[in-house]
Amino acid sequence: MHLDDVWLRYRRGGPWVLRNVTARVEPGGIVVVLGRNGAGKSTLLQLVAGVLRPAKGRVRDRPAVVGWVPERFPADQPSTVDGYLRAMAAVRGLGPAATGRAVDEWVQRFGLGEFRDVKLPELSKGTAQKVGLAQALLVPPDLLILDEPWEGLDAATRDLVPGIVLEVAARGGSVLVSDHRGETVRLPGAATWTVADGTLSTAAADTGPRCVVEVAVSAADLAGAVARLREQGHHVLRVREEVGS
Amino acid sequence: MIALTRMRLNGFVRTGRAVAPLIAALAALSILYGGGQAEPGEAYGVSALVAFPVLAWQTKILLDVEPDVQRRLARVAIGSAARETVAGLLTAAVAGLGTIAVALAAPWVFQAVEVDPDGTVGRAVLIGLGVHLLALGPAVALGALASRAVTRTAGMGAAVLVTGSVLAVVLGLHGSPVPWLVPPLMAAARYTASGGPTLTALTLTTHALLWTTATACAYTHLRHTRP
Repeated sequence: MHLDDVWLRYRRGGPWVLRNVTARVEPGGIVVVLGRNGAGKSTLLQLVAGVLRPAKGRVRDRPAVVGWVPERFPADQPSTVDGYLRAMAAVRGLGPAATGRAVDEWVQRFGLGEFRDVKLPELSKGTAQKVGLAQALLVPPDLLILDEPWEGLDAATRDLVPGIVLEVAARGGSVLVSDHRGETVRLPGAATWTVADGTLSTAAADTGPRCVVEVAVSAADLAGAVARLREQGHHVLRVREEVGS
Repeated sequence: MIALTRMRLNGFVRTGRAVAPLIAALAALSILYGGGQAEPGEAYGVSALVAFPVLAWQTKILLDVEPDVQRRLARVAIGSAARETVAGLLTAAVAGLGTIAVALAAPWVFQAVEVDPDGTVGRAVLIGLGVHLLALGPAVALGALASRAVTRTAGMGAAVLVTGSVLAVVLGLHGSPVPWLVPPLMAAARYTASGGPTLTALTLTTHALLWTTATACAYTHLRHTRP
């Protein structure tokens, strides 16, 4: 899939949220999208998913089956978990038998069995996020877009996500993941896209050997230093606070 | 598209949002039919005029029930922005048919119609169905234009609904210089009350279809940039 000189703004005459974005995602490729809060990561992901249309430029060769997991799952709906997933499977064109199989599989994998008959508004944030993940995977996606997929998930499900990403990639699907928690270090071989000031810089997957450098930064500049390191394509593995010098 | 229509209709009914426009329709019809008996054509013509803002409001409520992010998820799941948009219009039309069924039954329930000795109930209901269907398309299109996805704010949505409904009456009055700017509800009410050649019915139908198409196209165009 290609993004050719894509520009996007939310209203005519408004500020450009994304400018001159040119990038490519290969089948089987994994891309980690980095950037500060408000940099435009979610906007870029929605553009790739086909939710938003560019004001200029174009998105070419988007795969037919796209799975999109939004940053916040819209739980304010009257359905139960089971009813919602079945309805979304039907919207995706699955027949009754295939719907049953797909829903059963993802309900089981995400541990949603005991919540099947619970209404969506009654779910915790993490459980609702699992439903959001499940709806994107009901049909094996050729393009999977995960917007901060680790938010609110319990440890067991957080550990599941990299495996699912690698499964999709192994099948030839492309995956885009945004992350500000540093969880994507568990996605080896992922390319990096960094969104900053409305522009996108890309770095190919780093398959060479890596070194770990311990760096001490001023506590007051901690967040900025971590963000700058990520923007430069480095993987921040861990942040620890130390007392004294 | 049928699956998405079913999903949205289910949400509309299960959230209870379908109740308010139904009550509004019943209140308007009870006022309309509380004053005595009329010919079926006359009664149904005015009924369709009264149902127009209710159907438009019902459409706006229906389209606004779905959270914005879920609407975007549906767009990704169905794989086409156009199909997602059309599914919304289709859902509103199906819900509108329910309200029209109530409007068709109302004058008989209220005993507000008198049928000529040579007339039949079936023919009267058929005229009523025709004139209400004439109002349904434009009402769905106007309600869609007033939906949150397009207008963004409740105030703007209400303004679109009220302005569209008032203009439909004012610009549809006899002698209006620009009757073609609004759906032919007033002309249809005059036609069903006093009768006329079949060609007039065809002209009114064509007018309503063109207005619906133009407004639905405007809605679809706006939705391209307002998912």
